[in-house]
Amino acid sequence: MRATVKQGMAVFAPQGFLDGNNTVAFLTVDDIDATLKLKVDMVLVSLKKVVFFNRNGLDVFVKMFAKVRLNNHATVGFCDCDNKKFNAINNFYKNDLNFSLFDSQETAALFSSSFKDQSKNVLLYSDDKSQRSAMAIELHDNGHNPIIAQSKDDFILKCANKSSYDHVIRNTFLGQMGQKVATRVTGNAIIYTVSSFLDADIGNSFNIAYHNNSLNVGFRLFIFDAYKVISMNVHALNFFSKLASSGAEYNATICFVGMSFDKTPLTFKDNMEDAGIMFYDQMDDILQNKELLEELGASSAANVKNKRIINKIVVTELSNFVQATTATIEMMTNSSAIKEAAEVKEIIVADKTDKIASSIGFYGDMDGMVILIFPKDIAKKACELLIGEETEDVELILDTLAELVNIVGGKVKTLLSDKHISVDITLPRTYASIDSLLEITKGRKGVQVDLSFSGDKFLFFLTR
Amino acid sequence: MITKDKIDFYIEKIPPTPKVLRDTLLLLNSGELIRAAHIASEDLALKSYLKNIVNKPIYGFKNEVSDITQIFGILGVSSSQQTVYQYMLNLLSPKKWVLFKLNASSFTDLQARLSQNWKLILKHLNIDDKEVESAITLLPASIIISEALFHERMEDVHLLRSVHDLDFNTILVRLCGVDLFDICEQIAHKWEMSDKIAHIVQAASGIKPSNDETINTLAKWMHLLLFYELSQPLFIEAGLNNFIDFQVDFVADIYDDFAALMEIE
Repeated sequence: MRATVKQGMAVFAPQGFLDGNNTVAFLTVDDIDATLKLKVDMVLVSLKKVVFFNRNGLDVFVKMFAKVRLNNHATVGFCDCDNKKFNAINNFYKNDLNFSLFDSQETAALFSSSFKDQSKNVLLYSDDKSQRSAMAIELHDNGHNPIIAQSKDDFILKCANKSSYDHVIRNTFLGQMGQKVATRVTGNAIIYTVSSFLDADIGNSFNIAYHNNSLNVGFRLFIFDAYKVISMNVHALNFFSKLASSGAEYNATICFVGMSFDKTPLTFKDNMEDAGIMFYDQMDDILQNKELLEELGASSAANVKNKRIINKIVVTELSNFVQATTATIEMMTNSSAIKEAAEVKEIIVADKTDKIASSIGFYGDMDGMVILIFPKDIAKKACELLIGEETEDVELILDTLAELVNIVGGKVKTLLSDKHISVDITLPRTYASIDSLLEITKGRKGVQVDLSFSGDKFLFFLTR
Repeated sequence: MITKDKIDFYIEKIPPTPKVLRDTLLLLNSGELIRAAHIASEDLALKSYLKNIVNKPIYGFKNEVSDITQIFGILGVSSSQQTVYQYMLNLLSPKKWVLFKLNASSFTDLQARLSQNWKLILKHLNIDDKEVESAITLLPASIIISEALFHERMEDVHLLRSVHDLDFNTILVRLCGVDLFDICEQIAHKWEMSDKIAHIVQAASGIKPSNDETINTLAKWMHLLLFYELSQPLFIEAGLNNFIDFQVDFVADIYDDFAALMEIE
């Protein structure tokens, strides 16, 4: 069984009965290896559709959790635990509970740094006082507003007034939380979350390949959420200084938010500022200031020093990219694609109205970026399969479009690996308007393929 | 990926009940076991299937049973009818499974396990009705249909499922407005199975409860039994554990009874 990966969370969803006889079938050695290779903040096993389990049934998953923690430092645990399941697991592992339990996937997402919906009013209660505090701190750090019930009666009383809270947390236990440099995309900025002591290990926990490819895809503003950083040493200082220098050729900006220098030499701050890193007290000082955002490059990516041109190796594989795209859109819309034209040029979008776009980068044996421009109607139709209903909600369509482009990326990866070309894919990026996309692609040549799906024009663009 | 036309084409090419099977079922319905066995013996494939399935360990016979009259005699009218239906369904199954890691033997194992445990459940519920007993035979049709409709787009389906937790039934409904159990019902009609069989299997999907209280109760037991079997290592490895959505709430009120009956500890 493989996990479904969404918004930095990998979730296994076994169904039915979990006991010592069958868990090895649920989770093979290959499945564990594949999980270890995932670049996610959380690895969870959903118990929502498990009607029976015993300790032997959970042990295989718990062993996998330990391996994931060791390799990836991701948060691990079970989710969708109702009262009965929560108590049973606590009973099984009372002295050895070093993974987390969440009452739902939504609750788990609140504790994930990659979760983009922040500022939720969250009511929480746990019999364990230290757990109450730990949850409140984590929620606060993730940008939410925790409200702690002081007793069970207080919790029941507060629960009666459900409309006051966006979310209520029950049956949740925080084990060891993730230590990965979590990544999330907010608008056109990428936010990395760092915490505790920053030392030479930052080189391992920070995904440099992802960062470099985000630069290639057009991201220009990188914010380090450093509220939880206690101190940093000279190795970490060197790491960030180098990161800033390497981003300079792309005109990228690196900011630190909430970093306290109580236990870190102030000279470090000067050194980092010399390297071009900027410091802010609050995240909102940047994210709520549109002028500043523009100045820092979060809305524009046109000023790239070294524009890279599409090369032969990428063009040779064009057919694989187009095939992956058309097959995916055909699958999602149940329509057939007709290729109308293909040309090497700068991207040209004749009619920008009612169009949305998405891009995904790839890197490894070859690197580049695929851009897809959808008429809104195709996007909506393609998303219906994933959402299950028609929607006009642009945010939801863009989110689902990102999943769709992820499928395209996955298919490209498979097609290329058949030819022994190994690539990884970046997080997808979506654009509500074509103008914001064109800022990224300005001056870049690539292969533009015009396609038509049941009469609707669709544009594919492959560039570097 | 899958269109309504493709589904219609699939249903259209399902052959009608062969004459030998129809005659065998008619005779079984009227309780004429010996004459039914005589007719069934004319179909060598059916004969071989019957021998193969009743000699599986789950049936618990100490010595090999090979004579069809003997087989029908041991099984009785209801189970004989059920086994003939299982054979019909087997005719639909692919020679080579691609989407699910199954083969003729493991699929027959699934049929046999479902059949034997269903019998146990009906005994527990004090139900003696040969149509209800036969209803379990139609349930694995949903697996055969998934294989037939999705095997050509296996990689696409796997990619889709890697980013979004969708089961085959939901994918089919969203693409074509028809679900696996609607197709099972059409197969039941084509094979002149009783409406009751089709209704129980429809309700056993867990997403279309019946207004008939008895059918609904049977559907809950059938739904839970299916997931009990799909939690066996052989079928998890075959990729069947999450081919349709397990409706935990649907079976909540019968779970304790089920666990006691199946001796789950």
